[in-house]
Amino acid sequence: MDKLKLEILTPNGEIFNGEVVSVVLPGEEGEFGVLAHHASLTTLLEAGVIDIEKEDKSVESILINWGVVHVDEEKVIVLVEGAVAIRGDSESSVANALEEAKQLISDIADSNPAIAAVSAKIESAARRLL
Amino acid sequence: MANLKDIQRQIKSVSNTQKTTRAMKLVSTAKLRRAEELARRSRLYAAKMNQVIAEIAGRIKCHKVGGIDNRCFAKIENPKMVDIVFVTADKGLCGGFNIQTIKAVKKLISEYKEKNVKVRLRGIGKKGVEFFKYNEVELFDEVINLSSKPDKGRADDFIMTSIEDYNDGKIDGLYIIYNGYKNMITQELHVNKILPVDAEQFGCGEEQTSILEIEAQDEGQMLDSLVNKYVEYNMYYSLIDSVAAEHSARMQAMDTATNNAKEVVKSLNIKYNKARQAAITTELIEIISGVESMK
Repeated sequence: MDKLKLEILTPNGEIFNGEVVSVVLPGEEGEFGVLAHHASLTTLLEAGVIDIEKEDKSVESILINWGVVHVDEEKVIVLVEGAVAIRGDSESSVANALEEAKQLISDIADSNPAIAAVSAKIESAARRLL
Repeated sequence: MANLKDIQRQIKSVSNTQKTTRAMKLVSTAKLRRAEELARRSRLYAAKMNQVIAEIAGRIKCHKVGGIDNRCFAKIENPKMVDIVFVTADKGLCGGFNIQTIKAVKKLISEYKEKNVKVRLRGIGKKGVEFFKYNEVELFDEVINLSSKPDKGRADDFIMTSIEDYNDGKIDGLYIIYNGYKNMITQELHVNKILPVDAEQFGCGEEQTSILEIEAQDEGQMLDSLVNKYVEYNMYYSLIDSVAAEHSARMQAMDTATNNAKEVVKSLNIKYNKARQAAITTELIEIISGVESMK
């Protein structure tokens, strides 16, 4: 299967850089998935979860609060403001990441009705890891 | 001998100072490494951000009737009021680091005064704020404890006021002045004109691999959102760059201080030895002349 290059950058540095099979992004007008050779596209992202499917079929979830994505045939560049990756090797580190993610959500505008869905999503992502 | 004791006390005091300055240098070196790393990682984000903005702005400029209608890209002929944001350190003992920034701010203020443009001064960092307060220059607002611990949230809140006022037409320009990091021994003063963004620099971007599709109802809206982030990010980057520069300046200043202290101790030691020698000679002469007189 063809792969695409994914870069996720925050003002404090890179949080993801690597080859992936597919990525699902929370676009402003709805979620969309990107596979290799996608047509060029630029759009804003809203608070939500980026799901990354890696070569070994494992899925990594990264929570973001705002972002802009730039897609072209070879790579996807995501600029985000705040991001927390839900990952870890042990139960406690996953729990920590989850806690951090919840903190980030509560910092985002509380008026957003999608927040509940987002927080449910990160919890299921965390459960998948445990 | 009172004189001897005085010199000894001086030597002790100077070597204590030397110990402090050396410790401060080591602390700054460690902090610099961390700050530099942060600034380096952040630069990646800046490059991509500029790329995306340039692409969208260029596209709108070239393909949309009427060009960009965002005020942030407009050319303002007769500015009435500009915002100057300066970043200095919260602490001193770092050579000419703060004073350089202050001088640049004063220069820019007087340039605008000549053109009869009002200046609204917004300060970050205790040293700069104190200086302008002492000289009775009016500050619109001030923040301390931010330049030593850059925080994205607080930086965003701070600069948001300027962005909002700019969009409301209350101000017609925004500058950020700070002393940035160049390398371990030099700092570079930055006087950055943040708003209005110079739209001339954006080309039409023909080298696109395929036609760029912008998935938003209104691409102008996307640009608005991006420009805000761009300004916020610039503010944040100024802060982290300034921290790195502050530590490098302090490291250098403390290194010089340590060397100076070493010199002083050296010359005091010579003075001490001379005085001791003189004391011994005087004592000997006294004894000899005493013996002579008894003969």
